[in-house]
Amino acid sequence: MATITLQGLQKRYGDVEAVHALDLEIPDGEVTVLVGPSGCGKTTTLRLIAGLETASGGAITIGERDVTRLEPKDRDLAMVFQNYALYPHMSVRDNIAFGLKARKTSKAESDRRVAEAARLLSVDHLLARKPGALSGGQQQRVAIGRAIVREPAAFLFDEPLSNLDAKLRVEMRAEILRLQRRLDATIVHVTHDQEEAMTLAHRVVVMNGGRIEQIGTPAEVYRQPASEFVARFIGSPELNVLETARAHAVLGLNDPRGAARVGIRPEEIQLASAVPADEAVARFTARLDVMELVGAQAILTFVLPDEERVRALVDARTAGRLAEGQDVELAIAGDGLLRFDADGRRVP
Amino acid sequence: MSRLGRRLFLLVAAVVVAFPYAWVLMAAFKAPEDLNDPSKLSFTPTFDNWRAVGDSHVLGSAGTSVAVGLSTVAIALVAGTLGAYAISRFRAGGATTRFGILLSQVMPPAVLVVPLFLVAFNLGMRDTVQAVVAAHLTFVLPVVTWFLIGFFDAVPMAFEEQAMVDGQTRFGAFRRVVLPQVLPGIGAAGIFAFVLSWNDLFYALILAGGNTTTLPVKIASFDTFRGVELGTMSAAILVSVVPVFVACFFVQRRLVRGLSGGGLKY
Repeated sequence: MATITLQGLQKRYGDVEAVHALDLEIPDGEVTVLVGPSGCGKTTTLRLIAGLETASGGAITIGERDVTRLEPKDRDLAMVFQNYALYPHMSVRDNIAFGLKARKTSKAESDRRVAEAARLLSVDHLLARKPGALSGGQQQRVAIGRAIVREPAAFLFDEPLSNLDAKLRVEMRAEILRLQRRLDATIVHVTHDQEEAMTLAHRVVVMNGGRIEQIGTPAEVYRQPASEFVARFIGSPELNVLETARAHAVLGLNDPRGAARVGIRPEEIQLASAVPADEAVARFTARLDVMELVGAQAILTFVLPDEERVRALVDARTAGRLAEGQDVELAIAGDGLLRFDADGRRVP
Repeated sequence: MSRLGRRLFLLVAAVVVAFPYAWVLMAAFKAPEDLNDPSKLSFTPTFDNWRAVGDSHVLGSAGTSVAVGLSTVAIALVAGTLGAYAISRFRAGGATTRFGILLSQVMPPAVLVVPLFLVAFNLGMRDTVQAVVAAHLTFVLPVVTWFLIGFFDAVPMAFEEQAMVDGQTRFGAFRRVVLPQVLPGIGAAGIFAFVLSWNDLFYALILAGGNTTTLPVKIASFDTFRGVELGTMSAAILVSVVPVFVACFFVQRRLVRGLSGGGLKY
C-alpha cells in the first residue's frame, strides 16, 4: 500500500476545465472518499489517478514513483467500476485471476490467492460460474475480489455501490470497511451519495465544479463545513439556510457576527417543550406542512409566517403527537448554527 | 392483418422466392428435349447434366472459388475487425466514416475494374487468385467493417479500462477482453463476406477468366456460342447454391443483429 499525491492536477477537455489544479494527499492505509454532485470532477480525478485519462497538467505520485505519464497497467492500482465490468466470457475464477495472469504470477500462487480472496468475499462456491449467472451483489463481490487478489498499491472505487439496492448497499458498505481494516488498504472511493461518504471515509474530499471545497474527517465536514456548498451537500435532510435579516425577523434569531446567511441543521430545530429554556437560542411558531416518518425519526417540514420552509428532524414519538396543518411551538437548540458570508464561505 | 391473410401472404412470398430454385432443380435433371418445354412437369430424370458438370471441371472452379473466398474472408476479417474497433472507439476518420465507409458500395464495379485490370496486368498478376481477392476486398472489406462497428459499440468501454488497469496494454485488452465478446459478430461477418465473394461474377470474369475461373465464371461459360446449355448450367448452379444456403442458415439471426447496428445485448 502507498500514499498517493496529486500536485496541481489538471484536466481540460477543449475549453472546458473539468479539474482545476488539484492538490491532494491520499494517505496510506486510509479510505479517502471523493464526493460531490455529478459533474464536479470526482470521477475524472479518479480516472486521472488510474491513468484512464491523461492529465493536462500537474503530477501524480504513488509512493515514491511519479506515474503521471505511465500507462494504467504500470501504475499498480486496482479499480472497481460502477457496472463491475466482469468479463462475460470468463468464469468467475478466470475473472479474479485475470490481473494475476497479466502480471505473470505462477499458477500455484494465483490459485492460492484466488481461493483466499473468494473465501474472504464468500464467493468460493461461485468460481466455476459465468458472471451472467450471478446476482448484483455477487457480481459486486467478485469485482472486489478481482481487485484484492492483485495486492495493489491502492484501490480505486468508482461508485461501486450505486447499482445495488438500498439494503445490499448498506451490507456492502460494511463489507468494504471490514476488508479495508483487514488489508490495511489505501482506498480512493468516488460517490455522489453523502451518506456513503460519511460512513466509509477516514477523510472526505468534497468537490464542486472541478475544485476541492473541503478536505476533512466526516465529523469536520459536517460540523465545520468550509462553505455553504459543503454544509448543504453533507447531511440529510438538507441544511436549512435563511437570510440573516429574515432569521432575525421571523425566528427572533440574533446574530451579532454580521453573517449574510445562517444555516440551521434540521436536528437542531426541536419542539419547544423538549428544549430547556437556557439552551434555546431562538423560539418561534410555525405551521406543520408535511410529516415524513423514517423509522425512529421523523422529518417535519414547517412553513414560517413569511412562507419560507424549514425542515426539522425529531424523534418519531414526539412527532406522533402532531398533526399536519397544526401550528407548533419550536425552538432552536444549542449553538450549532452555521454562519456564511455573502460569498458562501463560513464565518467562524 | 388476420392470421389467415398473413399465412396466405407468406405462402405466396415463399412460392415466388422458391420458384426459380424449383425450376433450376428440375432443369438439372431434364434431358435437352424436355428443357425445350419449361412448363413440362413430368419427365424422365437424367443424370447426363451431372456427368457433364463432372467432366467440365466445375469442381475445380468451385475449389478456386473457395480459395478466393477464404482468402478474402481472412484478410477482410483481420483488417475489418481492427478498422471497426478504431471507428467505434476512437471515431477514426470523424463521425461520417461510420456510414461513409459504405459509400464504396454506391460505386459501380465497372469504375474499379479497369484500373484493377491494368494494375494486375502490369504486375503480371492477371488470371491469378490474388488479383480476384484484391478486387473482392474492395466491396467485402467496407461491408465487413461497417457490419462489425455495431458489435464493438455494444461492448462497454469499462471492460477495456478494467483490463488496462489490470495490467494489459490497449491491444492486450482488445485481444483478451473485447474480441471474445464480438466473436459471434465476427463469425457472422465472415460467412457474409464469404457469400459476397462466392457470388461475384464480374470481377472474377475480367481479372481471371483463363485458367483460374471461379464458379460463377464457370457457370456463365455454359452460355456458349452454340446456345445456353441449360441443363448443365442448372446442375452447376445447384453446386454453387448449396454452400450459400448452408451459410445463410447459420448466419441469418446474427445477420439481422448486425444490420440493426448490434444494438442488442447478448
